[in-house]
Amino acid sequence: MIKTNLKTSQEYSKAFFAWVVSLALSVILLLSSYDFSANAVKPYVFLAFSAYALFTITQFFLTLKIRRDILRHGDIARSTRSLGYVQLLSILTGNLFIVTSAFHLVKRQKNPEYTLAVYTLLTGIFVIAVSALNLFKPYVSDTFLPSMFSLVIITIFHFIALLLVAKYVQGNKVAPFMIWIACLLILTSITGNIFALLLGLNLLFKIRNNGNPATAKWESIWEKLTQNTTAMIGLFFIIFLFSISVCSLLTFDYAMATENNYGAILLHPSLAYPLGTDNFGRCLFSRIVFGARTSLIVGIVSTAIPVVIGGILGAVSGYYGRHTDNIIMRFLDILYAVPGILLAIAIIAAFGANTVNLIVALSVGAIPTYARTMRANVLLVSTFEYVDAARAFGSRDSAIIFKHIVPNSLAPMIVKSTLTIGAAVISTSSLSFLGLGVEPHIPEWGNILKLGSTYLETHSYMAIYPGLAIIALVLSFNFLGDGLRDALDPKLG
Amino acid sequence: MKKSSLLVLLLTFVLVASGCSVKTKTDVADKTNEPAPTETVTDQSPVDIELLGMSASESDLNIIRDQLTKNGFNVKLNIQPDYGSFKAQEDAGNFDIAHSGWTTVTGNPDYAVRSLFKTGGDYSILADSEIDNLIDQAATESPEKYTETYKQLEQRLVFDKAYIAPLYISLKSQAVNKDILNVDSVRLSKSRALAWEDIDFNDTSKRNTDPLILTQAASVLTSLDPIKGNDGSINQLNTNMYVRLINLTDDDKITSDGSLSYNHTIAEGNSEYYFILRDDINFAKIDNKKAVDTGERVGADDVIFSLDRAKDKNSVPDHRTYSLHEHIKTVELVTDIASLDGIKQSSGSGTIKEALEAGLDTKINELVTDKTQADNKAGKYQVVKLTTTEPFPQVLNYLAHQSAGIVSKKQVESINTYDVATFDVNKDIPYGDQNTITEGKQYNNTLYASGPYILSSKNDYEGIFLKNPGYRKGTSDEANISTVKVRFIADADSALSALRSSEIHLYYGVPETKYETIQSDSKLKLQSIESNAVSYLLFNTSNRDVAKSEDLRKAVLYSINQDEILQFYNNNKIKAVSTVSPLVKTGNEVVADPAKVKEFLDKYKASK
Repeated sequence: MIKTNLKTSQEYSKAFFAWVVSLALSVILLLSSYDFSANAVKPYVFLAFSAYALFTITQFFLTLKIRRDILRHGDIARSTRSLGYVQLLSILTGNLFIVTSAFHLVKRQKNPEYTLAVYTLLTGIFVIAVSALNLFKPYVSDTFLPSMFSLVIITIFHFIALLLVAKYVQGNKVAPFMIWIACLLILTSITGNIFALLLGLNLLFKIRNNGNPATAKWESIWEKLTQNTTAMIGLFFIIFLFSISVCSLLTFDYAMATENNYGAILLHPSLAYPLGTDNFGRCLFSRIVFGARTSLIVGIVSTAIPVVIGGILGAVSGYYGRHTDNIIMRFLDILYAVPGILLAIAIIAAFGANTVNLIVALSVGAIPTYARTMRANVLLVSTFEYVDAARAFGSRDSAIIFKHIVPNSLAPMIVKSTLTIGAAVISTSSLSFLGLGVEPHIPEWGNILKLGSTYLETHSYMAIYPGLAIIALVLSFNFLGDGLRDALDPKLG
Repeated sequence: MKKSSLLVLLLTFVLVASGCSVKTKTDVADKTNEPAPTETVTDQSPVDIELLGMSASESDLNIIRDQLTKNGFNVKLNIQPDYGSFKAQEDAGNFDIAHSGWTTVTGNPDYAVRSLFKTGGDYSILADSEIDNLIDQAATESPEKYTETYKQLEQRLVFDKAYIAPLYISLKSQAVNKDILNVDSVRLSKSRALAWEDIDFNDTSKRNTDPLILTQAASVLTSLDPIKGNDGSINQLNTNMYVRLINLTDDDKITSDGSLSYNHTIAEGNSEYYFILRDDINFAKIDNKKAVDTGERVGADDVIFSLDRAKDKNSVPDHRTYSLHEHIKTVELVTDIASLDGIKQSSGSGTIKEALEAGLDTKINELVTDKTQADNKAGKYQVVKLTTTEPFPQVLNYLAHQSAGIVSKKQVESINTYDVATFDVNKDIPYGDQNTITEGKQYNNTLYASGPYILSSKNDYEGIFLKNPGYRKGTSDEANISTVKVRFIADADSALSALRSSEIHLYYGVPETKYETIQSDSKLKLQSIESNAVSYLLFNTSNRDVAKSEDLRKAVLYSINQDEILQFYNNNKIKAVSTVSPLVKTGNEVVADPAKVKEFLDKYKASK
């Protein structure tokens, strides 16, 4: 009994994960705080390391304490939970892992809404913190101050919402006045904070079906997903990038990322240029922030197009079978036989390099795989009784396909698409790297990486940061896809 | 949770506190700009302009795009991956401005303008009679006088008409592996291509065992017939395969060193040029992939044949260099010693004979017609006289160009048996066709090389050159290293990696961005010198707005800020005004001026 408790304790596993990852981060910081060529310590990096190390040590003892509590009493003591408040302070260092673990620890009864509210708040704070780095620049965009104030106000509201959710959402019961909070939350998602949108929708959903057990599936998906730390951190990074891409319209100055500044060529990272400048004197930090927009748009749109087209083709051929199936699938097999990246290069070479063509080029090649996935699901689902029932009632084919079959075949498509968004982001970057993507001055991660690659030896930061950004985004999508697969799979847990 | 709320409060406070001192973009812009005068409201919309270039010059294109954008243009980039696609776009007229470059490989200013800007020139898309006159006038003038003429030419070409917008002069750089090569033996010349025969290893015992490994980007060789190509793929190769009447020194002076002649001189009137030939150079050929001495001497008949075909547009199909030699009227053999005594040198002192005999061990006793009869030790020489169509001292620079390389009369006539007018590219195989030296079925090496090396064979990966055994044997000009391999590496980064891993020994034409890397590598030595390569923007002259509107062209001209380009290249470029800038210091300078750009753009918009 006690042993299973330790294994099933969310608090323990999260705390453990947090201290290990944060130890790794501390070591990286320690290594980078020492300048090996000059034999000197970099004071600021060392300070960051100290802060990280401090929280890591606390987290380590906290983890031990949780373990002891669970092993001895089968539950976490109140005093241990209150230590979580101390760890919340690590948000000052930007240590996401410890913060989320602490948020998890301080509340005894958790539900998906609480976790979403926490991530909503964190996203807001991170966006503000990253945007605030612009204060060190010689000047900021005209809309910077008002939009930063609005962001702060929205974040304060998100904080209030978090407190309210913690108090008034218990299991399936939601206090009715929360409907206003939910609507406000949905409104605040115009900052790109999808967590706020998800939280608002979740609340509305629960209020409408108060206590109705029929909604268990949707509920359990969110429950499983929010319990999965890696998936949530992946989702957090994606939503953070999305949010900062939206907010950068107002808080960042596009000229910093595209206009050459010959007086600031190849500067190493500093406060004014947090990630340094490139060989044209453009701020690498701004470029990466603006590059996220292109990468996300291309990644998501070039996945959405084949999902829709491939999904429809697959559903039709799976449902009708025989000749329809044969014609559609053989046609798609031909398309499938052409290597995707080669097709993309051919399309771009023929129609020119710009964002729209890039999306088209990446979409076309991915259609057959989605069609195949959808067809297989539809073949399975269309044998179920409720489809026969619908047919017996005389429903039209289109109604049967899109009302009964498709919604029940979507789960694998969703998982597959989250996994392929990552691949699309990499393809965009590879094509840009080959000079076939967007125009060279447009900030796009592959473009930035390409420029940086020629300076790998002398100014390595120019390649490392965009490279890390690409890795982090692709990894995030993969983690999210993994989490979604677990959450959508009825056989698991 | 209270701590969290404190945090948010703190952040708010920071924002409020900093908000008071934060400068916004308009704050900054207002300070730098003077209050806009209330003038007649002009159209502020950006002017569309299409910029064509190659991906190799992406950095330049980005700087130009940036500068034009800041000056009120809306730039559309058309970046082509290679020269072929670029040229196709350029020929089709799909551009407003094209990023172009020119290298004056002959080291004389006439070549820097003639084929580029004269009406009907090889590469010219201009037609301006005033420019034509200035080019012709400068050609006949001596260096002291032509400075002023070229200044006027620049005034017309750049400032008055803005046919081109200059960008910069490049440096010529090479990196040498000093662990392997003797750095002092590797020359770096302003105009002439790298001379291979002087290069030597540190360990001279390796001369016959190890190859010298060089690199070049192009693996497709235009032609190994010197008159049929004038581009980066063959310039260095043909320079080392064919000897010329004269050479250029490292700083572009005319010299007879390392050439077919002992001496040369100009006769009174600047229209007659005399050359006294050596007797110690034989043609080499490839037999069984080995270089053998044909025993056939390089003599006056070969010189006359080579120069006659060089100036004759119809001597071969695809003649690429006749315009360089259009000033040659006749080339003939001198048989009468007395005639040399009767003519004075152009400097006014001494006779032609004295000039030709200067420094010779044996004076001229006899002039022979048959090259096999020449015996310099016995005083039997061959002298060639070249006459120009008009007084034109710069003709000597053209004779130092690889296209004036001496080929074998006998061999070329025996290979080029086709009729030029009905030449069929699928059937006829001309002398120097790269397929004949490419490994494979078509391999049939018929080259006769008069220079220090001969190309044995090539594939997509490398070309193998062997030492000419009959080239000035026993003298200091004999080639040191017996085998030279030229690796074809298209990508600059890969070439640099190859150099650093000692896969190649010398890298010619290092990009500016790589200087730092080379300097930090202890086994490499970077050498650089101002080159004759100028980059500029060429305006479309046919069917675009830039062709019709001088104002629009001038707006582009004054948008280009060369200081910023120099800053980008870490001052490893030099300011330019026109393609003659590296050769003639005219004193002109183009200064970027946003006010002028605005004025010209307004004029352009008003005229529309």
